[in-house]
This record gives sequence, structure tokens and C-alpha cells, in this order.
Amino acid sequence: MAPESILLVVVFAALTIYALLGGADFGAGVWEVNTALQASPKERKLLYSAIGPVWEANHVWLIFVLVVTFGAFPMAFAAICQALWLPLLLALGGIVFRGAGYALRSYSSDDRRQQFAWDVVFAVGSTAAPFFLGASVGALASGKLMLTDDGRFDGNFLTGWLSPMAVFSGFFVVVMCTFLAAVFLAREASNLADEELTRIWRQRAIATGIWKGLLSLAGVVYVASDAPQLWDGFRQRSWPLVAGAMAAGFLSLDSLVRERFRIAVGAAAAAVTAVIWGWAVAQYPLLVPPSITVEDAKAPANILWLLIATIALGSLLLVPALGYLFYLFKSGGRER
Amino acid sequence: MPNLVLLASADPAFNLLAARWQMALTLGTHIILAVFGIGMPVLLLAAEWRYLRTGDEIWKALAHRWSHVFAVLFAVGAISGTVLSFELGLLWPEFMRQFGPVIGFAFAMEGFAFFLEAIFVGIYLYGWNRLSKWTHWWCGVPIAISGAASAWFVVTVSSWMSTPRGFRLVDGHAVDIDPLAALLNPSTGPQTVHMLVAAYIVAGFMVAAVYARSLLIDGKCEYSRRAMALGLTMGAVMMPVQFVVGDWAAQSVAQVQPIKLAALEGQFQTQARAPLRIGGLPDAETRTTPYAIEIPGMLSWLGYRDVNAVVKGLDDFPPQDTPPVATVHIAFQIMVGLGVYLLLLSIYAGWFVVRRRRLPEGRWFLKLLVLAGPLSIVALEAGWVVTEVGRQPYLVHGVARTADMVTQAPYVGWLLLATVIIYGAIGAGTIAVLRLLARRELPENARGS
Repeated sequence: MAPESILLVVVFAALTIYALLGGADFGAGVWEVNTALQASPKERKLLYSAIGPVWEANHVWLIFVLVVTFGAFPMAFAAICQALWLPLLLALGGIVFRGAGYALRSYSSDDRRQQFAWDVVFAVGSTAAPFFLGASVGALASGKLMLTDDGRFDGNFLTGWLSPMAVFSGFFVVVMCTFLAAVFLAREASNLADEELTRIWRQRAIATGIWKGLLSLAGVVYVASDAPQLWDGFRQRSWPLVAGAMAAGFLSLDSLVRERFRIAVGAAAAAVTAVIWGWAVAQYPLLVPPSITVEDAKAPANILWLLIATIALGSLLLVPALGYLFYLFKSGGRER
Repeated sequence: MPNLVLLASADPAFNLLAARWQMALTLGTHIILAVFGIGMPVLLLAAEWRYLRTGDEIWKALAHRWSHVFAVLFAVGAISGTVLSFELGLLWPEFMRQFGPVIGFAFAMEGFAFFLEAIFVGIYLYGWNRLSKWTHWWCGVPIAISGAASAWFVVTVSSWMSTPRGFRLVDGHAVDIDPLAALLNPSTGPQTVHMLVAAYIVAGFMVAAVYARSLLIDGKCEYSRRAMALGLTMGAVMMPVQFVVGDWAAQSVAQVQPIKLAALEGQFQTQARAPLRIGGLPDAETRTTPYAIEIPGMLSWLGYRDVNAVVKGLDDFPPQDTPPVATVHIAFQIMVGLGVYLLLLSIYAGWFVVRRRRLPEGRWFLKLLVLAGPLSIVALEAGWVVTEVGRQPYLVHGVARTADMVTQAPYVGWLLLATVIIYGAIGAGTIAVLRLLARRELPENARGS
């Protein structure tokens, strides 16, 4: 396997994990918006205790995606940063606000008004970040960015990224995060044997699941009409993944109805994974449509191999550590 | 302050200025949070270790409360770090395009170190009641190690920007890349060690300053006394080390970055037996540095270990390659001056310990120590200005000018304005939360006598 292919797989794998774990954390904040910040203290406690220990580790996947992309595909990274300057800045703003809101909320006083202020910051940031990250991906995938062949941006820095596909993708990713959070929290609540919270989060998961299914169908229309190049890729190569995403989506809804939360979590994660890989496969070998391919953007081979070796060796430390973190806090174990 | 018309302009010269101030603001903020991320875990581990050894609840209370302070600072630092990783691409896309492959490896390693740190921070902070006592302590160790490691990798990039190695530039593309040569460039050794030692000093003196202030209010509080002792010990032990490392760094600059040496010393003319200038105000018009106390031959000796060595002056370099001399020289004076202050304080404390077998707690000493905390941060920022401004007008020294690397996107001025406001708000919020943590009641059994 060529080194650039290995690293491409690594980047998309990390992006998938970020979408699942970081996405669920974003979703928790979106739920604060959805419930108009009226969640009961008990509900909040579950929400914050679920994300507390893994919060920082989940966030680092984004940094990982960034550094591997610019180490391995510097030209693509530069092109993306120029063309998507505004939506990426806005996403960054969201990340800053939700991070600050979360950290300061956790350790601020029990004063209701102060808590509420940080809740608002957290909720708004948590919604803005996935929206603009999603919009960035949509703008990229639409193939409409005005990029020259050597990766320089030739369009308008303020409006060049805007397209129906970009706006749709923003909403789609927000709903995806909302759904993931609801499914994950339903499982956490059921692990805690809290019937009331389980019921609430199960209902919410089903409602957003149906909503997400409808949006996915709309998404097919958007891709077909707004991104012809991507549509060809979907029809020719990645239709099995699209079909798989739909099947997994149905399975996760079905398991929610039957209150089999572990399967629901697995199926929801599989659906999101299939969507991301469906996009990747449909777009391949383009990295930044319309014209920058993996081949164009890759760093010299010795750098790529060094990165691969680093990632492989680093994983020897990282994977057991991550496993331990999730074993401690996500395996349903209780405090001593 | 730029007016509104300028803010909205897409004038390249203004874009460059705004982007540089944006980096200065965000990096200057992050560096403070980063040094706590490096230094605090060591103090935490020391306090918890004392608790495990003695079973004394005061040490436990200390470790437990510091872990909350660390949690806030780490979380805010993770945000400001994320901002920087975005900014590299958003503000300097051309830099990423041309040099991404050369320095990507260092950033990837930094990413790994940060990842490990984040994982163990989660385990450590939420594991107080889930892990056995010693397991919990050991889960803090990777935080201290990976915090230092991630700083080391980031600073290698900064040192590479000053003394770039490991590539050739052909038509705007880096070729023949040797990432290890880039990583281990001539400035890496002194710069990374200088920065790491600075981190322990600043974290140590800041902690000591906070509790020195508490002791000034309530001199009997055993909790504050021990907290101050830990912080002061770390800062004071590292301070003499920093002078040795600083000397190493100065010799390295003399050899591999002669133009930076000339700028930080305000040395305009090439000169044998060059003097060390203490103070002084470099004047780019008259090409002199008046108002300085000069020690003849000292600069030659510091740079080359020979009082008669020739030190190259700024006039021997092309004018378009010269950094802003006054800024660099003054920043250097501030760093060294404050370093001397901290060193004297450390020596006094050390002398007191040797003679009296305890740390000094006199009111004057405590007052000077309260001052030392913020001053150590000023020294840190000044040192960073010396390195980064001393490299201007290049982003990659001798290879790529800062002006050629900046984004063409408009409205960077607005971004800067928004960042000032947002960072101000988050900074105020962080300080408010830290003050709140400090005001929390101590547990009954940790009050001490």
C-alpha cells in the first residue's frame, strides 16, 4: 500500500472517531439548546458526568486530524485553510466558546445565574462548532470551491464557501451530533438504571433518529443536484456504503424502540461511519475537489513513512491509555 | 489603535501587521497556560507523594485543590492551543504549503504528546475515588512527562524557524527533506531546555506568590506555608540552572544567529572587545545605543569566551534583513533583569534554608515573593519576544519572509478585534473561577495549626 493511502485512511479514521466521540460531546451541548436550557439538574448531571472524563481526549482527535493532514498533505491543508477561511474560523469560535463554557461552568460557583451564563456559552458554542465544521465539509465536497490546480484560492473569502450543499451539511452534522448524544446518553442512563432519564433520552433519540433519516434522504437530493461529481462517485463506487448507512440507521432506531441500547449505540456509530466513508470513497482520488488529488497534495515519501512509523509507535502508547480511560469511565463501572 | 477603516481593509501591509498581532496575542496567552500545564503536574505529584508517604491530610487537600486549578488551566490551555493549530493554516497558509512537510513531524509528535496528556488528565482528575492511591499517583506521571514533551516538540519548531535546517527550497517547494535534521537544528538544544526550565520557574514562582500573599494575611496557615514551600522550592532550584542554560543559549545565538545577537545587544557596529550593554535605548537613526552601562569586552566573552573576539554588528547585515532592534534589545534587558531579581531571591531563600533549616517567612521576603510571580511571567513573555521578534523580518530565517507567508484573506483586523474581546472575556472568566476555587473552605482536617 502506498504511504499516502495509509495516511489517508488514518486521517479519515481519526475524523470518524472525532465525529463519533467529539460529535456526541457537541450533541450534548445542542441538547441544551433544544431544551431551551431548561434541563433538570438531574438531567444535566448525567450529561456532564458522561462527558467529563473523556472530554479532553475526545477533543484531541480534531488536533490529530489537523496535524496529520498538514504533515502528510500540506498543499491540501493550505488550500482548505484559504478557501474555508471563514467557516473554519466560525467553527473555531464555537470550539473556543463551548470549551470555555464547559470548563468554567464545571468549576464556577453554585450561583444559578453564573451557571446559567456559562451554560448559554457552552450551548451556543456546541451548536455553532458542528454546524460550521459540517458546512466546511459540505463546501469542500460540493466541488465548487474556486481553487487553482496548485491549490491557491481564487474566490471570495467571505462568500466563496457558501452553497446549498454547505448549508445543508451544516444542519446535517448538527442533527447527527444531536442523535449520537441522545443514543449515547440513553445507554448511560440505562446503565445507571435510571428509568426516568432512560425514557427521556430514548424518546429524544428516536425523534432525532427519524429526523436524521429524513435529512439523509434530503441529502441525497442535495448531492445529486448540487455536487454532480460527488454524485457520480456515489453512484459508481460508494452506494454500498450509503445503503449500509441506511440499514444501520434503521437498525439503531429499531433497537431504540426495543430498548436494546448497546446495539443502538453500535448501529448509530456504524451509520455515521458509513456516511463519512461513503463521502471519502465517492470523492477519491480527489482530496480537495474540484482538482487537487491525493497524489498532488502528498508530502515526499520519506516524510510519509516517518509519519506512519510515528503513528504506529505512538499508538502503542496511546491505544492502551485510551482503552484504560474508557474502561474506567465508560464500562459502566461505579465509584469505589 | 487602528481605526475602523483600517480594520476592514484588505491592504497587504495591514494584513501582515494584524496577523502578527493576532499571533502575538494568542501565542502570548497560550504560553502562560502552557507553563502551568508543564509545571503544575510536578507540584501536584510532589504534594500527593508527600500525602502518600506521610498520610497527612494537608498534603492531600493541597493536591486535590491544585488538581482543580490545573483542570481549569488545562482546559483553557487546550482551547488556546486549538486556536493556534487552526491559525497556522488560516493565517499563514503559504508557510504551511511550503514547509508543512518539514515541520509536520514535530507537530505530529506534539499531537501525540498532547493526546497522552489529555487521556491521563481525564483519568487523574476523575479518578480520585476510582483508583487505588498509588495507581492514581502513577496516572499523574504521564501528565508531567507528556506536558514537557509536547512543549519540547513545539519549541523545536520555533528553533527551526530561527535556524532552519533539513531541506532545500526549489521554486517554492521544500525538497530533500530531512525531518530529523530539522527537528534537531542547532538552536533546538538551548531553546527547548531554556523554555522548559522557564516553565518550571514561572509555575513555581506563581504558586509561591499566591500563597505568599495568603501568608501575609494569615501567617499561621500551615496549608499556605506548605504550598508556598513547594512552589518556591521548584522555582528557586531551577533559577540557577536557568542562568547556566541562558549562557548556553547566548553562546548558541552568537554562533548560529549573529544578527539576533547584534539586535538583542543593540550592537550596530562590528567590534572587537564588544561591551555588554546593560539598559540603553538603541537608536536606529544614529546607529548607537545610548544610555547603556557598558562592561568592556563582556559581550565578546559571553558570546565567544574571548574578551577580544569580534562581534558582528547590525551594519554588516543588509538593512532589509534587520529585526526591530529597540524592541528586541529592551525585551532582552527586561528578561535578564527580572531573571537576576528571581535569582537573588532564590539565593537568599537557599542561604536561609542552609542556615536556619527552614524557608524564610519574613514579611519583606513574602512581599518580594508576591511580586516575583507576575514578574516571572513578564520575564517569560519578554524572552519569547526576543526569540520571535529577533527573527523578523523572516518567518523562516533567511528563507521565507513573514510578509510573503501571510494570508490574502481580508478582515484580519476584525478577527484581531474579536479575538481581543473573546480572550479578554475568557481571561476574566478564568481568573474569576480561579479566585472562587481559592476562596473555598479547606476541609476541617486540613486546616493545620
